[in-house]
Amino acid sequence: MNTTLYKIITLAITTTVVVSCKPKFDVPDPDNGNIDVSNYVALGSSMTAGYSNGALYYDAQQNSYANILAEQFKLIGGGEFKIPNVSQSSIGMGNANNAPSILGNRTDCQGVVSLGPVKIATQGDASVFTNIYSSQGSFNSMAVPDAKVIDMEVNGYANPFYQRMSSSASSSILSDAIAKNPTFFSVNLGLQDVLKYTLKGGASDSITPIAGTIGVGFEASINNVIDKLMANGAKGVVTNIPSIKTMAYFNTIAWNALKLDAATATNLSNFYANLDSTKFYEGDNGFIIMDSNNPFLGFRQAVAGEYILLNVPLDSVKCHKWGSLIPIPDRYSLTLSEINAIETAITNYNNILRNIASSKGLAFVDVNAFFSKVKSGFIYNGVTVNAAFVSGGAYSLDGLNLTARGNALLANEFIKAINSTYQSSIPEVDAMKYPAVTFP
Amino acid sequence: MNYLYKLLLLVFLTAPALHFAQGFQVNLQGQKQQGMGGAGTAYMQDASSLFFNPGGASFVHGNSIIAGVTPTFARGAFMDANTKEVSRTNSPVSTPFAAYGLFEIKDSSKLKLGLAVYTPFGSTVQWEDGWTGRFALTRLELRAIFIQPTVSYRITDKLGIGAGFVYATGKVNLQKDIPIINADGDYARAELNGKAQGFGFNAGVYFNPIEKLSIGLTYRSKVEMAVNDGDATFTVPESVAANFPNGKFKSKLPLPSVTTLGFGFKATDKLNFALDINYVGWKAYDTLSFDYENNTTSLIDTKSARMYKNTFAFRAGAQYKIDSHFAARLGLAYGITPVQNGYVTPETPDANRVNYTAGIGYETKHLKLDASFLFTHLKRTDTNTETNLSGTFKTNVIAPGISIGYKF
Repeated sequence: MNTTLYKIITLAITTTVVVSCKPKFDVPDPDNGNIDVSNYVALGSSMTAGYSNGALYYDAQQNSYANILAEQFKLIGGGEFKIPNVSQSSIGMGNANNAPSILGNRTDCQGVVSLGPVKIATQGDASVFTNIYSSQGSFNSMAVPDAKVIDMEVNGYANPFYQRMSSSASSSILSDAIAKNPTFFSVNLGLQDVLKYTLKGGASDSITPIAGTIGVGFEASINNVIDKLMANGAKGVVTNIPSIKTMAYFNTIAWNALKLDAATATNLSNFYANLDSTKFYEGDNGFIIMDSNNPFLGFRQAVAGEYILLNVPLDSVKCHKWGSLIPIPDRYSLTLSEINAIETAITNYNNILRNIASSKGLAFVDVNAFFSKVKSGFIYNGVTVNAAFVSGGAYSLDGLNLTARGNALLANEFIKAINSTYQSSIPEVDAMKYPAVTFP
Repeated sequence: MNYLYKLLLLVFLTAPALHFAQGFQVNLQGQKQQGMGGAGTAYMQDASSLFFNPGGASFVHGNSIIAGVTPTFARGAFMDANTKEVSRTNSPVSTPFAAYGLFEIKDSSKLKLGLAVYTPFGSTVQWEDGWTGRFALTRLELRAIFIQPTVSYRITDKLGIGAGFVYATGKVNLQKDIPIINADGDYARAELNGKAQGFGFNAGVYFNPIEKLSIGLTYRSKVEMAVNDGDATFTVPESVAANFPNGKFKSKLPLPSVTTLGFGFKATDKLNFALDINYVGWKAYDTLSFDYENNTTSLIDTKSARMYKNTFAFRAGAQYKIDSHFAARLGLAYGITPVQNGYVTPETPDANRVNYTAGIGYETKHLKLDASFLFTHLKRTDTNTETNLSGTFKTNVIAPGISIGYKF
């Protein structure tokens, strides 16, 4: 009897050990399908460089979608992805010689303290612009903040973000990329061709035209880039560009965010009595904006669909009558006609980009659809992601460029497109492991 | 005795999956029934009939007291469909227990009184740090103790009725991460902690028309565990602390009604069979809501659809009396999950399951020792409609149980 009991107990314990093992999964092995990602080169501008919170700095570069993608490529034979890294100890540098922003408390002209973007220093780190090619090049990340399609083959391109990583005084972004001899590439270009004009409120710079020679027109320039990258048989992925209507930068300050009490509204209506259709009411009102197309006065009241840019000095609005008695300068607003020109250009670019991808058999990432999805908002693993400034999780504090989380979500779009086109199976990343705006 | 060993071995080798619970209900009551797939509504064995069928308790001979415990080891894991990353649980051992006392008023009385104290649900799910679903859940602890004073009356030698009042007391502790990140890169956290109470009843009829056949019908009512005075605690960055005020919350968790039709069949003096068909009223778990005392724009009351559906479970078991002291038991059960596609959550990654159980018993005139063993393996692939969490949950559970009884 005792032996039987003993056997049963032994059996029970053995079984316990066996079955209490961790549940097992048949985790599929990542597969490269029909691509060779051993030497991946990324062409792009700010979005691809990881430019974030208004500047280029080390952490932001590591969290660029291109680098996240390169990390996943390592699962299918990807090699080192060399980034022209800003020093880890540097605060970084923005395109207005500015430092990056963090979320902090700031006091406005009325003495109200609130959370908002605060620059971490009065200026960015100028040493970022020192050329590092001889010590660190050549680079896989050929992403240059602010670069347009038409800048790709400009020898000695004067952009300091390129100057810091160029192989020589007479090289171009494209020549450096080709010299790297990529087996796989990504091209995410075109946004700066409209955005630089857009960010100046349509007051300066210009939209790259479709027609024109390489270095002048969009179509010839982008075809040149793709043809040269593919000349050695490399495969790759091409993206389109987002509509500006999706971006936090243009949607955070509403055209009619001029809040008035009844008395002020009456006073303003009297002040603008000679202007037809310019009326003010208690509550929300359209701002008064400069518009050079308005022949007599050069200003008028904003209408629905127009944008006030995120960089408008809010203290001037709150305390110095900007937008009411003083028109908001042209560079801080986009009028309907400007928006229309921008959106038309984006639509045309996107048609060309999609055609290139399909005609050349390249993977295609619908970045515009991704940004639209962010604008509408979606739930990712229990977390709401949307285009709300600061809290939405996708946009960094510059309102244009993505957070690390936004980059990870975008990297997943690349992975889906590549897997679907090239029969690869690259796993996506858990985007919640990448931070969004951090709170003090 | 060697065949007992072989019998058990056979069960373990042929059992791809054994059954454990349905939803967050834990069906670990008497060790004898547990060894028989959880069936026992028409097969009166001992004082644990107070749970299985108050109507049949009056047919149990003499006075008896039983206490048992079933340490439950659960290991869960989740593979994200998109990242293929596997996250695991580090859940502690839970120890559902059951104690029953059944007494005759006087010798050969038709009336019996009993008290049952048991844990019909209760477990802790603890996911590893930083897991994919952390914004849905990081830890959930549910505890409930049911106290059931019961009256059972034998109307005739063939028919008995009984009913018990159920007072339930318990606690719930739910933790999850909030997607707000501080300068150190840590996510904020929410912890909801509260005591819960509920009431219900357990009633049954037992009918033994012929010696070989018995029939039982029971209804265990829904018990709504209500948290009226819970504490919500938020660990968030200082700059948003005002948006997440600590304070009270209210919530409710329904434990479903269970209607059971059971059959007992006495094939020989040594061999008994039992079959139970459960109809479980899980439809009651329609919504999980949290009502916070202090609402802000960031902290709003939540209502999450659970949309459970009513389901069936089928339990069958056999007991073979080897001699006057020893008995061996085998069981088989099939449970249909109440959780619909699109509603699988990390709280209860539930699935349909087949389960096999086994048990042994040893008794003398006064003493009864029983042990059971069960194992379950759950697998469910789903994309949750609320969180979009998409992947496959797997859970392995083993629950060896033991009880000691005294008959007088």
